[in-house]
Amino acid sequence: METTLSDILQDIRSIYYYAPLAIKVAIIFIIVAVSATVLAYLVMLRSRYRNYRQQRRMARMLPKIDELLMNEIIANPNIPHDVAPSKVALDLEPFDELPLHKRWGREMLTERIIHYRNNVSGTAGDLLRNLYLQLDLDKDAMRKLKSRHWNKKVEALNEFTLMDMPIADVTILPLANSRNRELRAAARQAYIKLSKNEPFKFFDSVTDPLLPWDQVELYRIITTTTDIAIPNFARWITYSSNKSVVSFCMKLVVHYNQLAAVPAIIKLLENRDHTLRAEAIEALGRLKIAEVEDRLVHLYTSQPLFCQIAILKALGRIRSGRHIDFLRNEFLHSTDFDLRKAAARAIVKNEIMAREVIDELLATTTGENLLILKHCMNPLIKY
Amino acid sequence: MSKILLVEDDEVMPKIIARILPPPEYEVDIAVNGKEAIQKLEANHYQYDLLITDIMMPYANGFEILSKVKSHEREKPIPVIIVSNAGNEDMIMEGFKLGVDDFLKKPIIPAELVIRVKRLLMRNK
Repeated sequence: METTLSDILQDIRSIYYYAPLAIKVAIIFIIVAVSATVLAYLVMLRSRYRNYRQQRRMARMLPKIDELLMNEIIANPNIPHDVAPSKVALDLEPFDELPLHKRWGREMLTERIIHYRNNVSGTAGDLLRNLYLQLDLDKDAMRKLKSRHWNKKVEALNEFTLMDMPIADVTILPLANSRNRELRAAARQAYIKLSKNEPFKFFDSVTDPLLPWDQVELYRIITTTTDIAIPNFARWITYSSNKSVVSFCMKLVVHYNQLAAVPAIIKLLENRDHTLRAEAIEALGRLKIAEVEDRLVHLYTSQPLFCQIAILKALGRIRSGRHIDFLRNEFLHSTDFDLRKAAARAIVKNEIMAREVIDELLATTTGENLLILKHCMNPLIKY
Repeated sequence: MSKILLVEDDEVMPKIIARILPPPEYEVDIAVNGKEAIQKLEANHYQYDLLITDIMMPYANGFEILSKVKSHEREKPIPVIIVSNAGNEDMIMEGFKLGVDDFLKKPIIPAELVIRVKRLLMRNK
């Protein structure tokens, strides 16, 4: 007797119909699992095939691109030397042999131009940028920047940064405040690198707090970017309503040793926020502003514990030696362990002026205080 | 003809250098990592007029190659130019301590590299 497909399906249906509930659940589970596995395999195969096709295109295209970039841009003897590289009208005809009407062709050329620009600068680098503009490759990046997908926007921002292409403030500033961390970081990085006059303008519009990680990233970008216009950070220390921006700007003032911003930091000693006050004291200490020492000592008794510790540390950093007696008193009479330790460290840092006091303390103190002093005097122990 | 060994793991840089230092005046031998560079140096009995190397490379970094070249007994040691984008202060100092003759930070200006190469070759003649 011949079995047809409909018979088989009929059998399966009857088995399923009369099977107990547990078996029915198991059958459904198996069908879903098998379908998901097959689907996953298909997705993997598709992605592998696309990669393989991309590799094949690259293998075919890259030698051509390299030859064109080398012959027409980097080692072209016909490029006039008396014209600025950005103004040279390049011969684009040889580039017609590339499939630039296709998106992947343009993407491949853009990637290669960026790769070359990472290796060469000067006239050759400027000519590569000129080629990028004359072939309208920047339009693709602009389209990506308007995409709804954040990763496309990040790609576009990176491309503009590497190609040194300015972006309008109205386009980039909203991205610098994006809720997406990656996008926010890329936009800020691009803004700092591309904005020639005011690379820190986005501080004006930062509404959310700068998270510690954002601050680390920004600090790295700012301190490693060359040819950056450094503004007077007092502007944000004085007027910004965002505490994290004020705090971050104080760190930048210390990094750039920006003494012009010191009066703005001194004003923060009157701020109601004790965290900002402590940070201002720390910044003044790091900048070694000796004129502020008397004021810090005067403020000391009215401050919370961590501001007091910041004051003692600042006195240690300034090292003027004018307040050794104050530090000695704090070390001997304070009831708080951290204060005594900070005072001892400050005395030790003022060693040149405080030699006699240190000798006296070593001879007269006992127990925990002696231990603290010896601990602070050990140059191998940092904390 | 000046024989130059270029050690570089980036695929673009050798193409650029080979083009800006063309034959017959220059013969550029390329090694794509530190290990291959050391093999080429030994196979050629260190008979190169100049070594251009990157720092960060697989197997053996630029400083290891530099130490090898500078410790090799030769009447005149091979002059070395480091071309790298990892040019922080410590690395530059380390390079000069090990006897590097010149340091160029990527991205390079091709014409500048040509001049520096010519100057070192002249000095060593």
